[in-house]
Amino acid sequence: MAPSRTGHAPTMEKLVKSLKGQLLEASIDSYIHLLKRRQVTGDDCAEATAHILRQVVAKSKWSDVDQLLNAVQSVGSRLVQAAPQEPVIGNIVRRVMGLIRDEASEERNADETMSESISELPALAPPTTAVHPARPQPTPFRPPPLSSVTSFHVSRSKSMFNLLSVADTMHSPQTGASTPMSQAQPTSMNSLRSEVLDGIEEIMDEISQADDQIASFAEIQINPTDNVLAYLPSRTVERFLIKAAAKRKYTVFLVSLDPPNTHSGEVPFAALRKKLNSYGVKTIILASNGLMAYMSRVNKVVIGAKVVYQNGGLLVESGASVAAQAAHALSRQVIALGGVYKFCPEDPSDNIAGEKGASSTYVSYSDGLKVDALEVENTVVDYVPPELVDVYLTNLGPQTRHHLATIMADHYKPEDVGFSLHPGELY
Amino acid sequence: GRRPSFHVVEKDTRSVIPECFSHVPMAKRIPTAHAHKDVHPAVLAVGQQMAAFTLKDSIARLQATLLAFKKVLEAYETPKGNSLSRHFVPHVLNPQIEYLTECRPMCFSMGNAIRILKAKVNSFDIDTPEEEAKEGLLEMIDLFIKERINLAEFVIARNAAKTIEDGAAILTYGRHRLVEKTLLRAKRDGKVFSVSVIDDPYDNGGQEMAKSLSRAGIPVFYSPNLGGLRAEVQRATNVLLGVEAIFANGSLYGAAGTADVAVAAKTASKRVIALCETINFDRERVSVDALTYNEIDPEQNSAEHFRLLFDTTRDYYLNGVITEFESGTGNSPAQAI
Repeated sequence: MAPSRTGHAPTMEKLVKSLKGQLLEASIDSYIHLLKRRQVTGDDCAEATAHILRQVVAKSKWSDVDQLLNAVQSVGSRLVQAAPQEPVIGNIVRRVMGLIRDEASEERNADETMSESISELPALAPPTTAVHPARPQPTPFRPPPLSSVTSFHVSRSKSMFNLLSVADTMHSPQTGASTPMSQAQPTSMNSLRSEVLDGIEEIMDEISQADDQIASFAEIQINPTDNVLAYLPSRTVERFLIKAAAKRKYTVFLVSLDPPNTHSGEVPFAALRKKLNSYGVKTIILASNGLMAYMSRVNKVVIGAKVVYQNGGLLVESGASVAAQAAHALSRQVIALGGVYKFCPEDPSDNIAGEKGASSTYVSYSDGLKVDALEVENTVVDYVPPELVDVYLTNLGPQTRHHLATIMADHYKPEDVGFSLHPGELY
Repeated sequence: GRRPSFHVVEKDTRSVIPECFSHVPMAKRIPTAHAHKDVHPAVLAVGQQMAAFTLKDSIARLQATLLAFKKVLEAYETPKGNSLSRHFVPHVLNPQIEYLTECRPMCFSMGNAIRILKAKVNSFDIDTPEEEAKEGLLEMIDLFIKERINLAEFVIARNAAKTIEDGAAILTYGRHRLVEKTLLRAKRDGKVFSVSVIDDPYDNGGQEMAKSLSRAGIPVFYSPNLGGLRAEVQRATNVLLGVEAIFANGSLYGAAGTADVAVAAKTASKRVIALCETINFDRERVSVDALTYNEIDPEQNSAEHFRLLFDTTRDYYLNGVITEFESGTGNSPAQAI
């Protein structure tokens, strides 16, 4: 079922091309349309969102930092509302907002450095509370919005992740920073614009490179003679398995809960199997609803995360929790794969499985039973609680649950965590 | 006897089974022309239906086998110079059993029933008149079906229905005769409750049960696969599982997916009750791993697919088992019989 899910969705290249060719408002609308029709899903949402926000920064009219933040936030909120089932969209919006704040405060800091001759690393400065008493700020930031999600860790430590972070401000050259912001000089805004656009490019690079970087850890995680169970492997998981196959002789169990569509004659996981088999890695397709039956033969379960929540829980394909739970029951390790851009500084919603897919494909009412007599619960996403996950393998390497707060703090500003809850109210 | 081509067919169907599952048996359709000449037509038909899974669950197979054996007995005439108690089992009954086992591995209830039947034959004196022995055996089979199958089903449904409280939200997996009877009985007894059926899309029996319960006026939630497991377990107050058999160590032998449901329910601290007739209990076999005793689904056995029909649920995922004799923990009925 799953491998054909994106069958008629536009390819990423086509999508980006079509979005670029339109006026800003038109391209936002057409992206929202695609999101609502679920024609852009999963990993593609992250990339497409970065593209759209890049255009917002490049094309929309703004003359100071707050207007820019406002523009990004308002477009971001619309995207999030169009596809609440894809929290990765919100992550990218937060990343871009944080990037704008960093660039803006860097310009101010650079200005202060000039006048006070204090050499200070911008990344060590508190991100947005750089309100200098000697200089009245043109538009002081309001305190961060209080929302249900402000349990987010505020500490912004300088760590390895910080240094590695692509969007980190330290690598950005400090150009045109000597112009005081209070006058909102066009040159300063132009340099801010180009800095932010560069930063978004770097986020886009991070997204496109994440799968390869995660795959580079495959030979550490996968050992010879391992029996690895991959539940509905995502692009990330496929690349990981193939990379491991180049180095290791192991066996892959491929699973989906639903029987393959026999009418289409489609062979499940055909492309992936062909690649794995070409390396001499055996594949076994489990045509099964339950997974406990096979788990004694499996020693690792690999799950592609759609999102990693701040508590360490995963948003996953429907049924993936069955694999994780079976692995846990028999003490098999569960490895969750996902780039850092999938780390979401929110708690999982109480009703993740509340989203329902089409039910008529599952139940035939030809026998005269009234259609509303049965309530059909066909879930399309699933949740894996943190206690079932042993390793989070990201583009920055393997992490444990205890590292997640640091990663979140390194990539998001606390004031942007609840950006979509109060659209238009921030400034 | 068998023809050589028979073995070629067998090799073909098993050659695609992954090595790590190659020890697991699989039902196979035997062309009637290839069957042993001594196999009775009634048994022949039962074997075909078992291989095709039209006779599927343990009790249906047991009952059909016993009824076919009655036909074998009725047609039986002891050869001159022999007695029924010496001749019937090795020369007549055993070829029937061998054939049935070739069609599909025997289920525990069939094994138990055949053991009891053979003991009864052995109990006859060597000079018991043939008619008297046959009458005795036929009566025994009738009584066996009445007590161990029909009455057991009635008592289990009645006792299990008593455990359903008003306002309960019952979760169950697939379609099991005992669970269905229990829920319909509880409804007739005036209980107010809802049912959530999680189905196996490779079987779809749950859908039929969901419809049957719905027609009886029970509010039903239906999930086509285990994808809905987490949400449904959270909604449920308790879980009723119908199982194929119970091992001597208290593990359940149930339709593949049963263990996944039990694990989820136990993790969420929901009460898990299994329903099973005592004829399905095995006193000798012990299983902690689903690959010790299992069967490969012949329908899903190809280069593209592999599927097991059953799984093993350890007793610590269970709160209790209801049988026709008593209700208790997973272990106690096994010790009781």
